[in-house]
Amino acid sequence: MREVYVAGTGIIPFAKYPEKTLADLGWPAVREALLESRVQPKKIGAVYCGTALGGMLAGQRVMKTLGIMGMSIVNIENACSSGSSALAAGWLAIASGQHDIVVVVGVEKLTRFNGGMVPLEHEDWEVNQGVVMPAVYAMRAQRYMHEWGLTARQLAEVSVKAHEHGALNPNAQIRKRVTVEEVMAARPVSDPFTLWHCCPTGDGAACVVLASGAAARELGAATVQLVASDITSGLYTNGYRDMTWAELTARGAHEAYEMAGVGPQDIDVAEIHDAFTIAELMYYEAFGFCERGAAYSFLRSGASSLGGSTPVNPSGGLLSRGHPLGATGVAQAVEVVRQLQGRSGAHQVEGARLGLTHATGGGISGLDHGACSIHIFKR
Amino acid sequence: MKSNAISATGAASASPRMIAPQALEADENGRPQLVGGKCASCGALSFPKAEVCSDCMSDAVRPQLLQGEGVLYSYTTVHQAPRGWRVPFVLGYVDLANGLRLLAHIQARPEALRIGLSMRLATGVVAADEAGTPLATYVFTTPEERHA
Repeated sequence: MREVYVAGTGIIPFAKYPEKTLADLGWPAVREALLESRVQPKKIGAVYCGTALGGMLAGQRVMKTLGIMGMSIVNIENACSSGSSALAAGWLAIASGQHDIVVVVGVEKLTRFNGGMVPLEHEDWEVNQGVVMPAVYAMRAQRYMHEWGLTARQLAEVSVKAHEHGALNPNAQIRKRVTVEEVMAARPVSDPFTLWHCCPTGDGAACVVLASGAAARELGAATVQLVASDITSGLYTNGYRDMTWAELTARGAHEAYEMAGVGPQDIDVAEIHDAFTIAELMYYEAFGFCERGAAYSFLRSGASSLGGSTPVNPSGGLLSRGHPLGATGVAQAVEVVRQLQGRSGAHQVEGARLGLTHATGGGISGLDHGACSIHIFKR
Repeated sequence: MKSNAISATGAASASPRMIAPQALEADENGRPQLVGGKCASCGALSFPKAEVCSDCMSDAVRPQLLQGEGVLYSYTTVHQAPRGWRVPFVLGYVDLANGLRLLAHIQARPEALRIGLSMRLATGVVAADEAGTPLATYVFTTPEERHA
């Protein structure tokens, strides 16, 4: 496999843009990444577009707006991992030698659903019985609280930390700081979650340009290398499962660490899939940042905050930056690349050299999650 | 296996429609029974009844009556749901002794619930369709509720 570098990054501020089309959300991110990379459009070998609910030919709609067409364009749906799965497809195209330069874009417009929760697949048995994503995570939270003695108040501190970080990120959808009291007193969604325990719905787009070693050196962009790219799927069971352990993420993390030849202690910055507060705590454990059951202590110690030993979600994460499904995985990549380049301003992790991104999700019966995609970047 | 019609309890006016009628049967006393599946080849159980066995890929999966008792693994009171669902409602995962875990509506006072509680199968109205017809399905209740 060949070396893969990130030659350019682009992102739009995540927000609600009901008046914009999907294409109009996407093109500014692609344009920014292309201009940053100084890649000539005719050198683009392929475009991989991640979108979960953006409809047919999303990538073509974005690229034709920029007048850049004719290359291979593939649209990739993998629920909340759509963008990160597009990134994995782009990585493979470069690593395998098929292409020298590719564009990876993630784009989503959730305001088309007029607010409320993301619609799930009605063919699914549990969806048909009334399950909603907050309820699945809430039941994980309830069981985790039961087994490890975590309190609702402690869980609320995850949201406080996320919004502390997001307040520093100009691209975050929610830039308001919150207190534990505000989190606790907000509108209930699914016990123990109030609104502040749940990521907002909104719109967004992000883009990275990937290049082979030779192409990146020619562009003067051989600084941040993509050293691990992993996609896994959940294991099926209709029987018992330990819902306090993120088995899918732990398995993916093991694969990604092995591919990069690193361990959890080497990670300087991580962008992980905190769709709900409990998810962030469970993923600290699944990534090996702390022992099982020790996630709250890890949070409480400040280790996962800016200035700590392993800052997690300096962007504000899904809870604060926002979670337009297909855009999330690519936005995480943009965030980590810019962190490694020292370009993150008020939410910069000082001296970060190794960063990790993680997007997982998709609620279907019998699985932990549908998909999980993890990437590791190195300066 | 004979298929007796099952009717839901708790309907206000219009007669409710079952969300997944294939998953329920009535016993000789009219009490609901869950219908799952059992693989004729390897014996693996499924709920809902699988079309193909997820353990051995055999397509010989037979209907199998499942026990109506279980233990509450976790639960949550849902306050926000798509239109049609009667919020707030309680969802839970119920572990049957045969190794299956079912997601189901829990019809009990939330304050009477705790993880590890014994639960029993019933039916109940949980939603309404766009025409206003009540929708019913299998639910689990607590020992306290079933004696009330």
